[in-house]
Parts: sequence; structure tokens; C-alpha cells
Amino acid sequence: MDISIAEINRLEEASTDRRGIAVQATGITRNFGERHVLRGVDLEITPGEFVAIVGHSGCGKSTLLRLLAGLDQSSSGSLSLDGKRLDGINPDVRIMFQDSRLLPWRTVIENVGLGLEGNWRTAAQHALQQVGLDDRANDWPASLSGGQRQRVALARALVHEPRLLLLDEPLGSLDALTRIEMQRLIEQLWLDKGFTALLVTHDVAEAIALADRVVLIEHGAITLDLDIDLPRRRERGTPEFAKLEGLVLSRVMGIDKVNVRNQIKGHITAIISGDPVLSEIQVETAYGTVTATVSTRSVEEYGFEVGSEVLALVKSNEIALATI
Amino acid sequence: MAIQIHNFSWQKLLPWLLPTAIIVIWQTAAQTGWLSSRTLPAPWDVIKAGVVLSSSGELLQHLLISTRRALTGLLIGGGIGFALGLLTGVSRVAESILDSSIQMVRNIPLLALIPLVILWFGIDEGGKIFLVSLSVFFPLYINTYHGLRSVDKGLIEMGRIYGLSRWALFQQVILPGALPSILVGLRLSLGYMWLFLVVAETIASSEGIGYMTMNAREFLQTDIVVLGIAIYAVLGKASDLLANFLEHRWLKWHAGYRAA
Repeated sequence: MDISIAEINRLEEASTDRRGIAVQATGITRNFGERHVLRGVDLEITPGEFVAIVGHSGCGKSTLLRLLAGLDQSSSGSLSLDGKRLDGINPDVRIMFQDSRLLPWRTVIENVGLGLEGNWRTAAQHALQQVGLDDRANDWPASLSGGQRQRVALARALVHEPRLLLLDEPLGSLDALTRIEMQRLIEQLWLDKGFTALLVTHDVAEAIALADRVVLIEHGAITLDLDIDLPRRRERGTPEFAKLEGLVLSRVMGIDKVNVRNQIKGHITAIISGDPVLSEIQVETAYGTVTATVSTRSVEEYGFEVGSEVLALVKSNEIALATI
Repeated sequence: MAIQIHNFSWQKLLPWLLPTAIIVIWQTAAQTGWLSSRTLPAPWDVIKAGVVLSSSGELLQHLLISTRRALTGLLIGGGIGFALGLLTGVSRVAESILDSSIQMVRNIPLLALIPLVILWFGIDEGGKIFLVSLSVFFPLYINTYHGLRSVDKGLIEMGRIYGLSRWALFQQVILPGALPSILVGLRLSLGYMWLFLVVAETIASSEGIGYMTMNAREFLQTDIVVLGIAIYAVLGKASDLLANFLEHRWLKWHAGYRAA
């Protein structure tokens, strides 16, 4: 499991000349029927830049990645790589998924060599060396751990010398230690090879640890584009790191509108008291409607009625209400 | 180490324990006259009948005929089933044209077709091979079709990104992914193959294991009847071994089939 960066550096032969690719997305929208998943995304990435996209699940970040991978077509807007319009799957672009998607019926090295021609075994072996798994070349994927499988998937992507590497929550299913190890490996390989990297993640700390720029997508549009100027091999414990993390997190969670005691102001939109004992009260807040279950007696006691202003207290397993 | 070897040999012997015990009890019961040879001949008599029939070359002749019928049926019916399964598995158009009709025919009890089969093909080889073909067709068709349809979509997408051509995608991703299911179909087909061969050979035949058995029944030669049944059992087991062999060979990547 231990990857020595020094060793990878030593194994790395003369670094490649192929630099990253420039990505330009203009006014990208993507609709699935009535659902507008992306609503006019503009994003420019310079060659060799590492950009992380964060956002809630369903915000459209993975859809954007699939568009760039050529797996999906945008409804409108244009996508180009190095100024050339992107149409379909591009050999300069490789994507790594949350699940490793290794072919179970092929050995590790055969998986890495998928789609290669000619002297693929040497290239695949070299890629496996770079992720520290050359000794597992002839094993079946089923015998690897989750982290090892992701490293094989990374080797498989890198063996094609991509100029744009798309990472769709590739570390989402790994344990915390393996994640950090993988983050360092990805960072090191990115530094060595200079490809453009676009990482989709819901882990803000991961985004800040790796990216030159963190982009927040909310409801299908970019709402934050933040440069991360920390020196590399970033330490998570530092105040600068924590400050940036807090900044992004507060935007992601909308904490600026939720006060320190997890209270959100709102007004009652409906009281459903079909039951003699319990009633449901719907409260509309800035983040949508929350529903609190309270005893029917207390509805009268506290004078809750439709339209009245209340504080909704977000607890770990329920919503409590307070009068203002 | 010694204990391991001891355990190992036990494991190998265990499956033979019950059949051996049954044969010993059976032989004893027959020898003491408790079991009439009209009801069930002694195992030893069955073996003797086997030796006699083998030395005359008669048994081998019947066996070859039966095996040839079975394999011809498997090749024709299984081949068509596999091919159509591939077709409906990869093409939506073929699926809409063919699948519902095939599923409809599948639910007809094949034995109900026997009168028609006799009318169409007579009582010659054609009818027998047709019945066997039809019986192996459905398991192979359904499992091939289902296997292709249930290949992980994520893997197919991944293959496309890595620049595999349509043929390479089929050959390297889709077909291997469907293989476990296809082999289940083959295993079922091999079982049906012998079952329907027995039925076909007992209707009207002049050679084959089924004929040998029916003929022996006419003359109350229970030893030959039991011999015929035993041969079917052995053939069934042989098919099973063949399926096992293929699974171990082609699915060695699959944790569920890896040799212990």
C-alpha cells in the first residue's frame, strides 16, 4: 500500500512533452425532459490546470463531466478542446469513475492495456509501476482492494497519455487513509505529466488539497470560482487551508443563512392535523420546505397558524419549531 | 500437514459414500432373494449384462447412435438458440421482432408436439433430432439473450471511452460478461438434451439406448432395462463434467467458479 513518491519519480522516465489541453465551455445547458440539469455553464480551463468541481449531488457536476468525456450531448452551448469543437469521444480525454470499471475477466495488466495496440504490455507495465502495483500485474481484479482497483483504473487512464483527465468522484468509495494516499498519487502524477485535470468531488477538503481552482455548481450553474493559492503538498491542518475550506463549505451548505444554533427563519405554509395526537407543519425557508412533526395540542398552545413566522431548528433526526 | 492430507482424501471420498452403500444393500437384498429379479435385478447381473452386450459390440453401437443424435440435436438447436440469443441480445430491432414470439412458443409443452413431429418427420431420425433440438434451443436462447442484456452498462461505456470498436467491444466486454449466463444455459440444455432423447428414442426406434431399453422391457430383461437407465445417468454425469470443465476454463476470473 505504501507508495514512495521518490520511487515513482525514479521510475518515471523522461517526462512527456505532451502538455495539457485547454478546455472551453460556453453557455452549456443540458435538459433531461423537463429537468434542467445544466443552465448555462461557462468554464475555461487553461492547459495543465487542475480544477475541482464541488456541489450537492444532483447539481449537474457529473453531467458536465460526461459531456466533456463525449458520453453525452449538451442541449445547447459549445464545448471545445484547444479551440476545436468537441464531438463525441476524444482520444486525448480519459475519464476515471467512482467505480473502477475493471473488466473482471481480464488480469490487472490486461485491463491497463485495454484499447492499446502494438507493444502494449511494456506500456501497461510501466503505468502499473507508476501507481505502485507492478507486482500485481497478473492478478484478477477481484483479488484487489478498492484502493488498489482505483489505482489500476488510474494506470489504465494514464497509459493513454491523456491531455485531459476527468475524475468523477474517483475516491468517493475509499476509506479516509487510502483517499489521502490516492490524492497524493494523483497530485504527483499530475505534476509529472502536466495534463489538464478536472475533478468532480463532494469532498471540499479534497478539492482544496488538489485543485488550482475550486468551482461550485449549484442548481446547474456556477456560483463560485475560487483560486486556491496554497503552496503544493498542501497540509490540511494549516489555518489558510481551514479558512478556504470554511469559505467553500459555507457556500455549499449555505451556512451564512443558517445561524450557529442550526436555526433557519421561515413561515408556515401548511398545517396538516389529520391525526388527533400528531400534526405536521410545513415551513418554507430559503432552502426549501421543511416539515416538522409536533403534537396537535402544541399547535394551539403556541398559536402556530399558516403565514406565521417561525424558527425551524434542524436537529439530527427531526425539525423542531420555535416561535419568534 | 498430515491432517490436511487426511481431510483432503475424506472430502474426495464423501460423495461416493451414499451410492456405494445403496449398491451394497441392493446387492445383498437381491442375493438373499428378498428382492425379486423381476422387480429389480442385482447390480452384479446388470454389470454382467453390460459385459455381454459390450463384448458383442451391440452396446457400443446403441451408445454411439444415441450420442450422435444427442450431439446433432445440441449442435442444431443449441446453435440456433445461441445465434438468435446473440441477435436479440445486441439488437433492439431483433428483440422486438423475435423475442415475444419465441417466449410464446417456449411455453408450449414440447411433449404435446410429439404427434405433430411424427406427422412431419415420420418416425425416422429427423423427428428425434427435431425434438432434441427444440428442447436445447430454449435454455440456450434465453440465457444468452439475458446474459447479453445484463452486462454491466458501466463496463460497456468504459470500453467505448477507451476506443474499442464495436466488434472489440462485443468480443472483449459484452460476450465475456454474458458468458456465465450462457454457460448456465448450456448446462440446462445438456440436461434437456438427454431427457428428450430418452423420450424420442422410446417412441419408435430400431437402435439407440432408448430402443435397447424398450426392447428389453418386452422380453422382461430387467437387467438390460436397468443398464440402459444407468447409462443415461452416466451420460448425464458426463455432460455435467463437461459443463464444469468449461466453467473452470472460461470463468476462472469469476470468484464463484474458481477451483478451491
